[in-house]
Amino acid sequence: MAKYILKRILTAIPMVLFITILCFTLMHFAPYDAIDAMTNPRMSQETINLIKAKYGFDQPLFIQYIRWLDGLMNGNYGYSIVTKQSIAADLSVRIPNTIKLVLPAYFTAYSLAVVLGLLAGSRKNRATDKLIDGFSSVGIAVPSFWFSMLLIFVFGYKLKLLPFVGMNSVGMESSVVDFLRHYIMPFATLVFTFLPANIKFVRSSTLTQYSEDYVLVQQAFGASRREIMFKHVSKNVLLPVVTRLGMALPLLVTGAIITETVFGWPGVGPYFIKAIQGLDYPIVMIILVLSATLVIIGNLLSDILYCLIDPRIREMG
Amino acid sequence: MKKTLKRSGLALISSLVILGVLTACGGKDPGAGNNTTASGAGETTKAGETTAGTKTGSESTFTYAIAGDPGANVNVITTSDRFGLMTLKMIYSPLYMYNADGINYFLAKSIDASDDNLTYTVHLRDDVKWSDGEKFTADDVVFTFEAMEKEENVGWAYSQLVYPEGSVKVTKVDDYTVSFTMPVINAAAEEMLSQIFIMPKHVYENVTSFENNEVNSKPVGTGPYVMSEYSAGSYVKFTKNENYFLGAPSIDNIVYRIIENENTAKTAIQSGEVDAWIGTPAQVEQMDLKSNNLTVKPYQEGRVGYLMMNAKRMNDENLRKAILYAIDKKAIADAIFLDAANYDLPWSFMPPNSEFFTEDVEKYGQNLEKSKEFLAASGNKAPELTLAYSATDSIQSTTAILVQEQLQKVGIKVNLTGVDSTALSQQMKKEDNSYDMYFGGYIMGIDPDTFTSLFESGNSHNYMHYDYPEIDDLFSQGRKETDKAKRKVIYTELQKKLQDTACFYPLYSNKRLLVVSDKIAGIEEAKLVPVYTFEDTSKLKLK
Repeated sequence: MAKYILKRILTAIPMVLFITILCFTLMHFAPYDAIDAMTNPRMSQETINLIKAKYGFDQPLFIQYIRWLDGLMNGNYGYSIVTKQSIAADLSVRIPNTIKLVLPAYFTAYSLAVVLGLLAGSRKNRATDKLIDGFSSVGIAVPSFWFSMLLIFVFGYKLKLLPFVGMNSVGMESSVVDFLRHYIMPFATLVFTFLPANIKFVRSSTLTQYSEDYVLVQQAFGASRREIMFKHVSKNVLLPVVTRLGMALPLLVTGAIITETVFGWPGVGPYFIKAIQGLDYPIVMIILVLSATLVIIGNLLSDILYCLIDPRIREMG
Repeated sequence: MKKTLKRSGLALISSLVILGVLTACGGKDPGAGNNTTASGAGETTKAGETTAGTKTGSESTFTYAIAGDPGANVNVITTSDRFGLMTLKMIYSPLYMYNADGINYFLAKSIDASDDNLTYTVHLRDDVKWSDGEKFTADDVVFTFEAMEKEENVGWAYSQLVYPEGSVKVTKVDDYTVSFTMPVINAAAEEMLSQIFIMPKHVYENVTSFENNEVNSKPVGTGPYVMSEYSAGSYVKFTKNENYFLGAPSIDNIVYRIIENENTAKTAIQSGEVDAWIGTPAQVEQMDLKSNNLTVKPYQEGRVGYLMMNAKRMNDENLRKAILYAIDKKAIADAIFLDAANYDLPWSFMPPNSEFFTEDVEKYGQNLEKSKEFLAASGNKAPELTLAYSATDSIQSTTAILVQEQLQKVGIKVNLTGVDSTALSQQMKKEDNSYDMYFGGYIMGIDPDTFTSLFESGNSHNYMHYDYPEIDDLFSQGRKETDKAKRKVIYTELQKKLQDTACFYPLYSNKRLLVVSDKIAGIEEAKLVPVYTFEDTSKLKLK
């Protein structure tokens, strides 16, 4: 068991390294950078070359990479070319803001999805199932920016019930009420975004379990619906569902890019989008590496979780 | 069922706990703000919403929506983006502003040139104090300009102070007089020294990197406001500087609220969450201005949107003229900017609000007969041309379609190529690019000499790649001539010559539209200017 986990962790390290190389070279092959985006006819070519040299763009590729990787290891993520800000300092403000929004929203959506998915799966093709499944089919098709604009239009503009810009009113950082008022709409949008896919997942997993032989056996023994559901089916359904949690890890950084941008939430989303638009590669690279690393860690976590919960796999390992 | 409910309930509770912990942590974030001078920050924490633009208790606030984060490292040397400069304008003051309608003095009282037109003496105000109480003197001016001239600092104004012949020499004459000596005669010298904000020597003296240091986040300035709070990605808050040398500002706080999504910003101005915002004509058209008590103030930034031809590919002057005579720029501008109040029509490379602008040039008014004649003269019966434009720019995209349609009428086929804007500008720099024509736009300086880099033969920013020595010659004559009347003659001739080449065609000079709440007064006194929006925010008032 411990050996298995160790083995998985060790294989993850070269993967992360590989991702840094991939991110770096891909970015390097992009034909333009932030300095090209910033130049205007009022700058002379010498000034442009001066700025490029300042950011180390005149060095050979592998030296740039080693310097960058060295920085990554030491927590020095470099500086934004556009705003000259330290990326580490920026992210240390923005990632917590994103987590504040994504984590509760994901847990809410996840818990609701487990309840609704099991319910739908156990009532296959009946009215409840059709309602829930119909909702998730429609939900998957609704773009989140449209849903958030709709919320803003109704609750922010027409009814003037809720503020819709940012995380706090100016000068009210310490007010929890003010924060919660700003929180409601982006939170609702995210729950609505995460919910449908999770419901579909739980529902299909439930359907698979209900078609297993052990359900038929239980029915033959005269077990009640409740008994079959809670004693047998739910346990097996929750196995893949729990491991899905691990996969959700990267959402903590990049899970709300669009919602955050629409609501002006000071998280990673607007920061990332602005960096892409401005070709601010140092920021784009860091966020790519960060979320890719989280994908690997997430997979690792779900493998370990699976292994911990499911005795069958534990035996195999 | 009960069990599941219990479990989901637990998950909910645990997520709420996590949320609570995170919120608590968030308050202590080191980068989130600098509360050294946050006098207004604590006081406004009252129950209920602070609606923008209204007076909460005794404090008045004006909220302006901006589309990007200026960042916490705003400094007078390297900051050159719009929102960074807007922030600088609040906290610092320049010697003077040089606008299309002349000089507006701030830290300087007057400027005079020596007889040989090489030395400019600036007389400074002697009643200015930095926001930390220190006196402002000539030392601060010398310190700022010398820092700007150092190559390793990569200052934004480096190329307007350092020339191939040498750099501008800055000397302290006495505590309130500074002299600037140009290496060569430059008629635009007064403009070259303007718009540079002065930083305090006693604060920045020991700073090695102007971009990243301890003091940028606690700026000490001479501007109308003091930066009191910066919340990354959310807003920048300024409180008034009671000791502002042009009189204490009327509004207590000004907030730049960062809203990157334009639809959200549009809704925010209508709901009153912000008091001012910059919109496009199409967006303003959709808004209900009256019932939301909003007014639109269009103002000229001196921008010129153009069509340029690559002379290396389009070497036949007749063909170029055939194209220009087929275009109707008024129809294009009307279709895009919806109202004649939203744009001016330029006829030469100078923006129409410049005093050197002349209409006495070949205008190439739409004339299909003439166009067909020139086309016949070029011997090219059915030319097929490539027009490149920035695909993400809605104005350029629409212009491209309209030009394509207009040229169709005389039998010129245009293939449209929409590309990324940075990719386009990189391609335009190359002589052997694969486009015959392209769109672009510029906001240069006030003096015609600041346009040299775009139109001089062989300059890396001359995207037409033509070779006209007489144009280069006129530019250098204009630079050396200091008599205004004579310069006007030279630049009129230059504008004529440039139009005759038929390589450059100015399309429109679109204005910026400031949508502002009716509660805000004093906009005329504060003056709308390019880049910074307001020249002096201290003059704004709340009705």
